[in-house]
Amino acid sequence: MKDLKHLIFFENLLQDAQNELVEKAKSEGQLALGYNCYYIPEVLLNLPGCFSSRLRAPRCTSTDIAGYYMTNRSCPYARSILERAIEGGYNYLDALFGAESCATMDRMETHFTLLHPVKNDRFFVTHIDPPMKGDKTNLDYYKVQLAVKVLQPLKEKLGVDTSEEALRSAVEKHNRLCRVITEIGAFRRLPNPPITGYEFHVMQLVSQVCPQDLILPYLEETLEELKTREPEPTFPFRTRVVLVGSEVDDPEFTKLIETCGAMVVADRYCFGSFPSREEIEILEGESAFDAICRTYLHWNQCARFMDGMKIDQRHDEVERLVKEFGAEGIIYENMKFCEFWSYEKVLASNIFINERHIPTCTIEKEYALGAVGQLRTRFQAFIESLEIKQIQGGK
Amino acid sequence: MKLLDKMVAPLDKALERFDPLKKAEKGTGGQRDRYYDKTGVAKWREWRGVKDTMVDYGAWLNNILSMVQMVASAPVPILKGFWEYRWMGSYLGTFMFIDRLFEGYRGPELQIAHMNMHAIVQSLTKRIAFALKNDARFGGGPDTMNIIPHDETITPLFLKGFKGLYPFPLQTLPEFIICDIDQHIEPYYIDVAESYGLPADVCSRCAAETGVAIDDAFPLFGRVLLSTNMPCNASEATSMFQRRRYAKPDFPITLAMQHNNPEALPYSRETLQNAMAFVEEHYGVKYDWNEFFKYARLMNEQNTIELEKWDLFKTPYSPLSGIAESLYRLYSWQSVNGQEEYFNKVDRKVIQIMRRCYEKKYLPFGGKTRHRAFLWGPSAVYYTDFPTWTQNCWGITIVLNMDSTMGYNIINTEDPEIAMDDITRFTEKACMRHHAVGGWENINAVWDWAKNFNCDMVLMNDNIACNGMLGVHGMMEEQARDLGFHFIFIEHDLQDSRTVSRQDMRNCVNKYMSVVLNEKPLDPTIVEFDDAEAY
Repeated sequence: MKDLKHLIFFENLLQDAQNELVEKAKSEGQLALGYNCYYIPEVLLNLPGCFSSRLRAPRCTSTDIAGYYMTNRSCPYARSILERAIEGGYNYLDALFGAESCATMDRMETHFTLLHPVKNDRFFVTHIDPPMKGDKTNLDYYKVQLAVKVLQPLKEKLGVDTSEEALRSAVEKHNRLCRVITEIGAFRRLPNPPITGYEFHVMQLVSQVCPQDLILPYLEETLEELKTREPEPTFPFRTRVVLVGSEVDDPEFTKLIETCGAMVVADRYCFGSFPSREEIEILEGESAFDAICRTYLHWNQCARFMDGMKIDQRHDEVERLVKEFGAEGIIYENMKFCEFWSYEKVLASNIFINERHIPTCTIEKEYALGAVGQLRTRFQAFIESLEIKQIQGGK
Repeated sequence: MKLLDKMVAPLDKALERFDPLKKAEKGTGGQRDRYYDKTGVAKWREWRGVKDTMVDYGAWLNNILSMVQMVASAPVPILKGFWEYRWMGSYLGTFMFIDRLFEGYRGPELQIAHMNMHAIVQSLTKRIAFALKNDARFGGGPDTMNIIPHDETITPLFLKGFKGLYPFPLQTLPEFIICDIDQHIEPYYIDVAESYGLPADVCSRCAAETGVAIDDAFPLFGRVLLSTNMPCNASEATSMFQRRRYAKPDFPITLAMQHNNPEALPYSRETLQNAMAFVEEHYGVKYDWNEFFKYARLMNEQNTIELEKWDLFKTPYSPLSGIAESLYRLYSWQSVNGQEEYFNKVDRKVIQIMRRCYEKKYLPFGGKTRHRAFLWGPSAVYYTDFPTWTQNCWGITIVLNMDSTMGYNIINTEDPEIAMDDITRFTEKACMRHHAVGGWENINAVWDWAKNFNCDMVLMNDNIACNGMLGVHGMMEEQARDLGFHFIFIEHDLQDSRTVSRQDMRNCVNKYMSVVLNEKPLDPTIVEFDDAEAY
């Protein structure tokens, strides 16, 4: 396929958290608001005068200092973020909105307060207590948490307009971005898509780490380009898979799977588009804030949800993606030391293999892709097994 | 009694050479002499002097009596239990376990330790019999459908408002208590979970629970399962396995993690009310506040006495410390939780002994205490007698364990509205939650606790797979340095003794005591020894 016009630009934007678009927005006087987790609705951080920045630690190769604080037995994503913070990589941030989604994430975010690694006088950190069920009691708690720990400090500490009008405008802008990304992602459903999983991953990531106002025109242009892009004469991959799991913010991981022969047709992981690019519909009589909370709680697929309804929902959602995107298998990944996804991948793989009869491969990975030989072997073996199934007619 | 003391004094003097404490003092031996190498099997019982040996022996007989009563009350189900459940066999190690816990204990320390321990034994034996009698795998019993199986980290007190129903902590028998007794039982269940695909780097306790679930080794009863998000991530994750395997309608009681925040209480309160409604719906029993108040009064009395104990712990004259304190508080609070009046009776007797000791300025452990330590972080379950070892080997008295600081608020026993708030606060501060969950402030509080209890040392249990505590490793080191506490990380793997052995744990203390503090052990026979094959 012909190269996408902006792909190299997008790739370059992912080389640093403080990329050129972030710097541009900052120079225009916008507030940079960091977050780590889907539990913090990015739309709330894109109110007028602000932009959201989902934290990554690209090119992080050593976590020595963070390892001293958190030991080398804790989640490498959390450690890498802390390391990057100590290195001064997030000095552009005006606030960090944390979520106690897991203990390690909470501890990492706590160090942003204790060590003062962000050299910005007005910088502050809040932590929400995210809900673990999808019922009304938990929705109400979620609303209280987001009101007290996100909207209130935004208004009181940073002077951000959090009115209904401002929220509706943020929702509108958010929905526009979601439509573009969803439309780009939908090309992956085609038998021979004009886009690779890697390319989509890059675009999804830039939509999360760059100021939305500044990245949106590039994404819209890319969407138009994709509409006329000629795919390869024949589907260039041996099979199609859905990638599921915890943080995958390095598109090289998707590339690794694809170089083994499986196109990643759907991305159901932290930083992926399922969930994150669902439009927010404000129902009649509903406030924009309530609609945001309801939408985010409904779509949240985190492995920490404990009630049967949400557990079933996250498995059903993966199965839906498999069917709608024509995947032949699922790859479940978890970050090393991630307890939630360690359990979830075991539970889900047993359900998918034994009950829903969808071939599933599970792997554990580090944050920084280093020695990939073992992973490559696992993926190749899985892809071969899918091919054998194809030959045997799915038996 | 004084006459008796005078009568036995010559005999004590004559037999002193068999007392391991005296032998250690004279450099002629010590506690480890009486064991077969590598094992927990002793060649003879510890000689503690005539009176204390009789107290110890009497307690041994008393515990045997409870075991006999257990078997007699349900002989066939007990036999089936041994046949069905691997973990049942480990209960045969109970007596060795108790002997190990109270090595070196004399006088009021020994008396109180055995009173506390017998309370646990008599309670547990009844529970085992009750569980097996009503286990649906063995055909069930009269109360099979009246039991409310719940996660053991949920405090059962709030469920006592359901008259005629029996809350039962599901994991306590096959997983928690049994690992206290036998360090070799949980690795089997951990292996089951890992064979199923679970990575080996998750908390071994939750891996073991998962293994028990996969092995179908939970007793089977009740109409529902009450799971919970307490206390930690791995516990939440394993609950998802257990609900599936247990295959009953489940209700996860997800209390606020940030439980100090003002917005937490209304949420947690509503969650508990939802759980009550769930039980009402499935069991057809209405909640009875007067029934609840009966048990809340018992819990209140226990907590009132506990707070008085804490005042005495702050002095050097407390005969209650170490494992005799922490195991009892853990079981009586988390598991009994006001349901058994026997524990109130024990508390009343114990506090009287403690008051007398304080008045007499009695120095426990022969006045050999060198350091007063606060024990923080989840303790290694496979090394229950670790505090006994620190006392006997280095003179480090574990004054209080973090788990003993669980919910101690007094619950209103007249007004259901106020009581609902109180029971919510109480339930939120369950095992490990009070101090390890809910933000840095709760963890960092250890220094205040240690200072208030006049401790010069903090022993930080360092579960190598506990994400919550690993995340504050460096900060804890820095705080200890800044605040001037002796501070030792004791690495362990909670329920998997294969990863970090008991000797590895001892070495953490040995190195600090010998290299940093340049101290000599009280009993050189227990500085380094191999007990890898012991129960």
